[in-house]
Amino acid sequence: MKDLGIEIINLHKKYDDVYAVQGINLSIKKGEFYGLLGPNGAGKSTTINAITSLVKPTAGQVKILGKDIVSDFRYARSQIGIASQELSNDFFFPVEELLYYQAGYYGITRKNAKQRIDYILNKLGLYEHRNKKMRMLSGGMKRRIQIAKALVHDPQILILDEPTAGVDVELRHDLWEYLKELHNGGKTILLTTHYIDEAELLCERVGIIDGGKLIVEDTVKNLKNMVNKSGIVIHTKGNFPNLKDTLKDFNPIIDQNRVEILTKKPNLDLPKIILKLSENNVGIEDVQLPKASLEDVFLDLTGRKIND
Amino acid sequence: MISNWVGFYTLSSKEVMRFFSVWRQTIIPGVVTTLLYIFVFGVALENRISEISGVSYKIYILPGLLMMNVITNATANAASSMLQMKLLQTLPELLITPLSSLELSLSFIIGGAVRGFVNGALILLICWLAGMPINNLPLTLVAIFLVSWSFASLGLLIGQLSDSWDQLALIQNFVITPFSFLGGIFYSIKMLPAWAMTISLVNPIFYAISTLRYTTLGVSDASFKSSFIFLIIFATLSTVAAVRTMHTGKKIRF
Repeated sequence: MKDLGIEIINLHKKYDDVYAVQGINLSIKKGEFYGLLGPNGAGKSTTINAITSLVKPTAGQVKILGKDIVSDFRYARSQIGIASQELSNDFFFPVEELLYYQAGYYGITRKNAKQRIDYILNKLGLYEHRNKKMRMLSGGMKRRIQIAKALVHDPQILILDEPTAGVDVELRHDLWEYLKELHNGGKTILLTTHYIDEAELLCERVGIIDGGKLIVEDTVKNLKNMVNKSGIVIHTKGNFPNLKDTLKDFNPIIDQNRVEILTKKPNLDLPKIILKLSENNVGIEDVQLPKASLEDVFLDLTGRKIND
Repeated sequence: MISNWVGFYTLSSKEVMRFFSVWRQTIIPGVVTTLLYIFVFGVALENRISEISGVSYKIYILPGLLMMNVITNATANAASSMLQMKLLQTLPELLITPLSSLELSLSFIIGGAVRGFVNGALILLICWLAGMPINNLPLTLVAIFLVSWSFASLGLLIGQLSDSWDQLALIQNFVITPFSFLGGIFYSIKMLPAWAMTISLVNPIFYAISTLRYTTLGVSDASFKSSFIFLIIFATLSTVAAVRTMHTGKKIRF
């Protein structure tokens, strides 16, 4: 398919007797921001490493912009930039020099790389640190250098493996803003994370991976709607003994003046509920619509919390 | 074949710069060791050890010492560069770039070969200043480069297959060093018992030393022609082995 950025077809990876990935199919459209979510050991990194050919699949195929990553490795790899989870620690050379080397591996001469490297260093707040060696930099800066390296050859596809792991809140928000900007500029982005809020905020579609399988994939909104937990919480003014009967169509859970209703369509059900309560002269103190999160989706699908 | 020339040049020059940037560790020790050997054997032991093949003992051992330095430096550079990248997690970043296995391997080999050659050339200069004749300078330099290239290839292979510095040291101490000593640095293999002489005949380091002894002193245990052919075959085999192993991705791609 021509409009696909990344296509994974029936990917399997077996280590000794254990499958790290078993039968993953994934199609990420050009320009899409896709999140791969799952607990540690679910198979996220194996999947990503198969895309970049660091992992040799036991079976299956990966295509980048329609080209096979093995037979067309030069084209496929030149279109991918990856910021890996592990922070690299090359202590021989200063930051700027490392970026020039990185550009060189992708066939970009020093002269042609200069403008882009200066731009990225500035953009990621690294310009003043460009002459420092890696060991002199903080974890947050090293994380930014990982992203700078991924971007130095201006790839169409950006893969970010836990890009905000171990960074402080401020930097995390800065990175999110930058990732949004890159996405708006047309980059296809694949992000793995176990920070639910990160996936919710950034990704158009999310795939949830567990036990080496893609257990579900959809837009964040649709995934949340899958979960019955999306609910309505109403506090009534005083206790009303007939409340359960009044709201019997909605299966309420009543605890004194607190009424909780689980529904897949809270926006449609809420007016009906309020009407029912008004007709029966039940006073309302407040109404809350606690939203389901991807955490709830994961819990609903696997019976476990994502960060357990 | 090589097609990403910019990438190939970038990685090769990075490998060369890597050892030049720590020249105190990578260039000076070989020079110092050779000077010590020249001093100890020249000043203290010269008169107590007889000539070999009509050459004074101090001079006789210099080509061997030179080759031992070349071999140690070339092997260590490629092996440690590869292992260090594995341990520091910088190797995956390199393996995902559009560089082919051939381009990657040759870049690492060039790094090691240049280090071996630079060390060899410097020590050659010292040996010449200490009185060692150089019968044929161009052939001497070719021999140094050939041996340097072969052992850089071998170093890359060892580095790729090693998981720790311990394993690397094990190979260095229990394979490279014994083979160097058994290759006839300090003696002519004609002085050895027959069985040990037979073993020497399959030791590449013996041919490396023998070739250099011929191109510098004009004496050697094996004929120059057969030694040189052996070295070319050895260089080809070790290069093919290193490139093939890189291509299989053993211990670097999972």
